[in-house]
Amino acid sequence: MIQENVWISTNSLDFAQSMTLLLRFQIQSYIQRTMYSHGTSGEQSNYYSRSRGLRVLLVDDDEINRMVTKKMLEKLGCEVTAVSTGFECLSAFSHAENSFRVVVLDLHMPEIYGFEVATRIRKFRSCNWPLIIALTASTEDNVQKRCVQIGMNAVLQKPVLLQAMAAELQRILHRAKPL
Amino acid sequence: MDLVQLQRQLVDYKTSLYNEGFLDEQFTQLQELQDENNPDFVVEVVSLFFEDSERLLNELTKALEQQSVDFKRVDAHVHQLKGSSSSIGAQRVQKVCIAFRNYCEEQNIEGCVKCLQQVRHEYSLVKTKLESMFQLQQQILSAGGSIPM
Repeated sequence: MIQENVWISTNSLDFAQSMTLLLRFQIQSYIQRTMYSHGTSGEQSNYYSRSRGLRVLLVDDDEINRMVTKKMLEKLGCEVTAVSTGFECLSAFSHAENSFRVVVLDLHMPEIYGFEVATRIRKFRSCNWPLIIALTASTEDNVQKRCVQIGMNAVLQKPVLLQAMAAELQRILHRAKPL
Repeated sequence: MDLVQLQRQLVDYKTSLYNEGFLDEQFTQLQELQDENNPDFVVEVVSLFFEDSERLLNELTKALEQQSVDFKRVDAHVHQLKGSSSSIGAQRVQKVCIAFRNYCEEQNIEGCVKCLQQVRHEYSLVKTKLESMFQLQQQILSAGGSIPM
């Protein structure tokens, strides 16, 4: 159930925006199974600190992309840890207290390619695999195929739009198994 | 100029930037990500883009001045610039980067040098336009108005 006091911006909501809000609500309620309310910024920050959002590890070596994707995921209610290298990503997994449910992984990174990182993540955990969303600028078919082979759960084309991210998150959380 | 006129000017200016291909929907996306938790998000990201681009353009200039050009290095820089310009919706910069990468692949020095000039040009255009837009926004906010989206 969604509470009534939804904050609506001064411009009228167009379809895309309402879809985004709807997906956001659905993701939130799926994860937390709590009432979700938009309120003043004070209420919102209490909400985020009080409840546990979807824990996401974001791996992208580009600072700008990282900033934008992080904000996007936070907008969708996720609790995001952002790292800039494949190595940092793997060491984040070696800490037992970190329980990332989703990894958002840029496939093109200099010192250790995204595919390599994903393969290692899959080897690390024999059960409770994190769900992996790959981000790629490439439009080639073999990228998609390779992602499937490695056991990634979704592939998104860059630049990523909020609706696309919301839709993929919802889809993979709902299915919760590799492609 | 009164508030309503300023707001009108901003809307018209923004529309022209989209129409002329300087900005694409990714920029709209950035604005949608901005909220009361991060009221300066767009300006922050764009400022970062300016810093990063200037660094990359300098690196590219140096790399192309070498006796023996390292095309892989050049391509890596262009790839970065393409990625970040695409993230913020700087469409014209992104387009030149695509052509630039093709020349890198062909190891075509002349093509690369030409593209570098072009990308510098497009970058300085979009930078000027975004700065003008932010100034307009600031004027509106200072006059007590809100930014029309």
